[in-house]
Amino acid sequence: MEELVSLVLLAGELLLTCGAEMYRVEETVERMGKAAGFSQVEVFATPTGLFLSLHSKQGQVFTRVRRIRYVDNNLSKISQINALSRAFSKGEISIDDVTKELERLQQKEMDFKWVVNIASGLGAGAFALMYGGTLLDGFTASVVGAIVVIAVSWIGKYPIPRVLQAFTGATVAASLVYFASLIIPLETDVVILGAVMLLAPGVVMTTAIRDMLSGELVSGVSRGAEALAIAVAVATGVAVVLSIGGL
Amino acid sequence: MMIQAAAGFMSAAAFACLYRVPRHQIIRCGLVGGLGWLVLLLTGDYLGEIGAMFLASAVVAVCSEILARRVRQPVIVFLVPGVIPLVPGGRAYLTMLSFLRNDYVKGLELLVSTIFLAGAVAAGIILVSSIFRAISRTKHRKEAVVWRMR
Repeated sequence: MEELVSLVLLAGELLLTCGAEMYRVEETVERMGKAAGFSQVEVFATPTGLFLSLHSKQGQVFTRVRRIRYVDNNLSKISQINALSRAFSKGEISIDDVTKELERLQQKEMDFKWVVNIASGLGAGAFALMYGGTLLDGFTASVVGAIVVIAVSWIGKYPIPRVLQAFTGATVAASLVYFASLIIPLETDVVILGAVMLLAPGVVMTTAIRDMLSGELVSGVSRGAEALAIAVAVATGVAVVLSIGGL
Repeated sequence: MMIQAAAGFMSAAAFACLYRVPRHQIIRCGLVGGLGWLVLLLTGDYLGEIGAMFLASAVVAVCSEILARRVRQPVIVFLVPGVIPLVPGGRAYLTMLSFLRNDYVKGLELLVSTIFLAGAVAAGIILVSSIFRAISRTKHRKEAVVWRMR
């Protein structure tokens, strides 16, 4: 019984740390709990914590709380956990196998790191073009964006809050663009905007409003606060450099 | 326009990589994102900023739901990268930058438009996903009943 509880808990925790939506976490936990033979499953997922209560048929109640300290968006893990939980609830896969698979997913570090860095660079360039930059602006933003992503993931190895990471990334972006603009004729605002788009909280903000609109008030408020904090951090990082540089 | 479409594609594909989308789906994510960006650009003059944003995010959501069902992936695999060109992250940053530069009037203007644009994106997504959920619920109702009895 005990291992079934930790299995369900692990699935929920993994989904949350990979950045799944709250309803997906709650649905998955509920589905897996029912499939594992619990008569009643109560689950409350928020972006910063998971609360779970499983009622066994013998009348025992297992309650677990998990604190979620970091979120590292990983959609392919979400997709794999989703497939696992479906297979589990249909009885196509044994409890041991699910546990093993989940533990493997928990361990698995990200692969194709260089591709990610180059792609995010190109993404930053694309944003500069979308906000009306020239091709030269786009190119500069690509280079700067790639460096920013490398810098942020390097800082991310240390226990530094996400907001501070965004601040540092923005500072790096703005200083690079500032120095580049001394050599190349650039539309500095657009290039900086493209480069910091990789840090900007667009998705978080939209998810916050989505949560609010669908009645997930706690999650909505918490994500809204996160989006606000990140936006302030990014803007401050840029503003510090620009005011020192006198732009 | 070609450059804009390519840029929309690229930004969505880049975020697909950044969010570690399963490798085979990256191109599809880019296509969804590029399509959304084109819809936004083409309808902006007729529907106004917020209307166009709503339409574009609804288009992205419909494509994501259909693709997700076709290739058996969770919807967010396509939805999150797909709305990347639309979400007003840059505007949120510009809002704060205006405040920091003591330009409060412009900051407030940007703040309000950021909130409404994010709201339009969210509303488009929610509307579409509710419709799709309602449809698939009626389709699977039989299964659901069996499920509850077990």
